[in-house]
Amino acid sequence: MLEIKNLHAVVEGEDIEILKGVDLTINKGEIHAIMGPNGSGKSTLSKVVAGHPEYEVTKGEILFEGEDITELDADERAHLGLFLAFQYPVEVPGITNKTLLRESYNTIARSNGKEELDPLEFEDYLKSKLEIIDMKDSFLERSINTGFSGGEKKKNEVFQMAVLNPKLAFMDETDSGLDIDALKIVADGINKIAGGENAIVLVTHYQRLLNYVKPDYVHVMIDGKFVKSGDRKLALELEDQGYDWLENKTMVNGEAQ
Amino acid sequence: MSIAVKEKETILEFLEAKFDPSEVEVISSINEKGIRNVNDFAFPTKKDEEWRFTDLRSISRNHFVPVDQAGAKDVGDISQYYLPEALNSRLVFVNGVFDAKRSDISSLSDNITIGRLSEQGDNEAVKEHLDAYTNYDEDKDAFAALNDAHFRDGAFIHIPEETKTESPIHILNIFTDADKAFYATPRVLFVGEKYSKATIVEEHIGLADNEYLNVPVSEYKLFEGAHVHHARIQRDSKKASHVSRPIANLEQHAEYHSYTICLGAKLFRNDPRVVQNAEEVDFTVDALVLIDGEQIADTHSIMDHRRAHANSHQLHKVVVNDNAHSIFNGKIFVARDAQKIDSFQENRNLLLSVDGKVNTKPQLEIFADDVLCSHGATIGQLSDDEVFYLQSRGLTEQKSRELLVYAFTLESIESMEVESVHKLLLDEVIKYTNRDEEFVAVG
Ligand SMILES: Nc1ncnc2c1ncn2[C@@H]1O[C@H](COP(=O)(O)OP(=O)(O)OP(=O)(O)O)[C@@H](O)[C@H]1O
Ligand SMILES: [Mg+2]
Repeated sequence: MLEIKNLHAVVEGEDIEILKGVDLTINKGEIHAIMGPNGSGKSTLSKVVAGHPEYEVTKGEILFEGEDITELDADERAHLGLFLAFQYPVEVPGITNKTLLRESYNTIARSNGKEELDPLEFEDYLKSKLEIIDMKDSFLERSINTGFSGGEKKKNEVFQMAVLNPKLAFMDETDSGLDIDALKIVADGINKIAGGENAIVLVTHYQRLLNYVKPDYVHVMIDGKFVKSGDRKLALELEDQGYDWLENKTMVNGEAQ
Repeated sequence: MSIAVKEKETILEFLEAKFDPSEVEVISSINEKGIRNVNDFAFPTKKDEEWRFTDLRSISRNHFVPVDQAGAKDVGDISQYYLPEALNSRLVFVNGVFDAKRSDISSLSDNITIGRLSEQGDNEAVKEHLDAYTNYDEDKDAFAALNDAHFRDGAFIHIPEETKTESPIHILNIFTDADKAFYATPRVLFVGEKYSKATIVEEHIGLADNEYLNVPVSEYKLFEGAHVHHARIQRDSKKASHVSRPIANLEQHAEYHSYTICLGAKLFRNDPRVVQNAEEVDFTVDALVLIDGEQIADTHSIMDHRRAHANSHQLHKVVVNDNAHSIFNGKIFVARDAQKIDSFQENRNLLLSVDGKVNTKPQLEIFADDVLCSHGATIGQLSDDEVFYLQSRGLTEQKSRELLVYAFTLESIESMEVESVHKLLLDEVIKYTNRDEEFVAVG
């Protein structure tokens, strides 16, 4: 589904290289977790995949369902079925959740030759999805993320994901700042969406979420590259030992030296 | 030895004066005063504090003729501009001249007087209130003087005590294409008696892309407990110059809420002034300005609190694109004994281009001690993160920007009481933000 090959990316117009050769393959139905210390490039990778114009790909490619999407705008990538749950969801005063989602849903439907939903149908559809994150109807009428608590913002990202039903979602620290109830709700939400045709990438610092959402693969990013990949057990090791034991290793042909 | 001193310039340098005073006495006395003033008052320059930032070249590089010498084109069908809510409560002026055929006031109750100023020469209210509350002469205001000198007609609206207009009243000023640049001086006198209630939509529309000078004066007098919602929509030709003088004078418990929308004109100068003449009033002086290209929109407002107890609000919202230039000077006056004033001013600017310009200056002159006055100004851009957020949800960059500009303007648009005006403004916002796409398509 997604194939990232030797991806290098810099901040647009500057010389700072942040991604320094990322390789990643994700297949349908898989759940991947990306872990790594602060500033290692996890969010940058998520944003580069989503098409943030702040970053420029200098080398390598991103293939989505076989198509090179490196040059596509963010909205075109969303139309193909990519989604990014933001580490820091943006507040947009004056535009309600409902307005955004209807516009999003119908734009994506249109570009895929699917039928758009009229306001009434859409309202029902939204309400069915609200249950997933256990939020009140009034949530729909509020301005996007404006005045939301940290936890509500994260839930709103999961809600948007549920509504748009993407093929592949990058969830950047969606678990951070959630209390135990919210974490379970978010995890439930992710589990409902994951599997089958869809794939999910969880960027996280904590094992906590991974107790509820079971990843098939865990990757460790340090200084703009993956230095180790493994299964769920790797996450537990990291929880125990931190990243130090990995920091000094370099990868040669995919093998730690 | 004598040194030749260049006479100061008056507005007469830039136009072909044709002032012949009205036969209606109440108007002609103002005309005569205006003619004296127009010869006497200097045309403003950038040396005048009140005109420091305003480029007046669209007037001073021009020569405007009276409209009957301009070769003005026929107006044609303008029914698309009629407000559905005001189909039978509309006064139409074409290039400043009353158009009986296109006006329709059949829905208004008989005790409401609405019509042409020139036909109300014997009306006591006109005699009493016309030109009674302006202080333009003290300010040596050359533009108000031009209106005084030149107007022979105008709209007159008189709402009697305890009377309410069932539908909004639409004062529609249409400007047509013409061979030559012309000038026009629309005039409105509104009198709301005790506990009356009215909604007025004053609109200026340029049908073509021609140059003209539009110098309207509007006078609103609100007696005890009168309520007025006053929308002013400026959609003049993009080459027009519009210098506006709206004033409201409020008696006890009056409520006056005014909303100015600036979309058109190359130069728009608006000096709204609200004067509190008795205790316990409530008023609003909001505006929404959407400008691009080389447009200049300049607001110099005065909220003049002269008595105790007032609630006043001013939300001045501006979107600037290309080389456009917005100027805002908001004066809040509070007189010595005007205690318990609660006044709030906010100027929010959204800059969409690097070359756009914004000058903003609050000016508070407060002589009472028990008052609450706050003011603030912000200048911002659309944030890349906001655009990216919406784009990552599948909206095109264009649509994302459009939504964000729309969100910025929404607060102002939602204050519009008349449904069709509300809708019209939403369309205007979309037109304003969509323009880039059209340009790309052409280029
Ligand atoms: N626009 C930018 N300009 C300059 N530096 C940037 C920019 N974006 C990211 N960086 C830098 O790139 C590095 C990686 O940042 P990124 O946000 O991807 O880290 P992260 O792994 O998500 O960290 P965290 O766990 O704290 O969220 C950091 O050093 C960051 O400061
Ligand atoms: Mg991050």
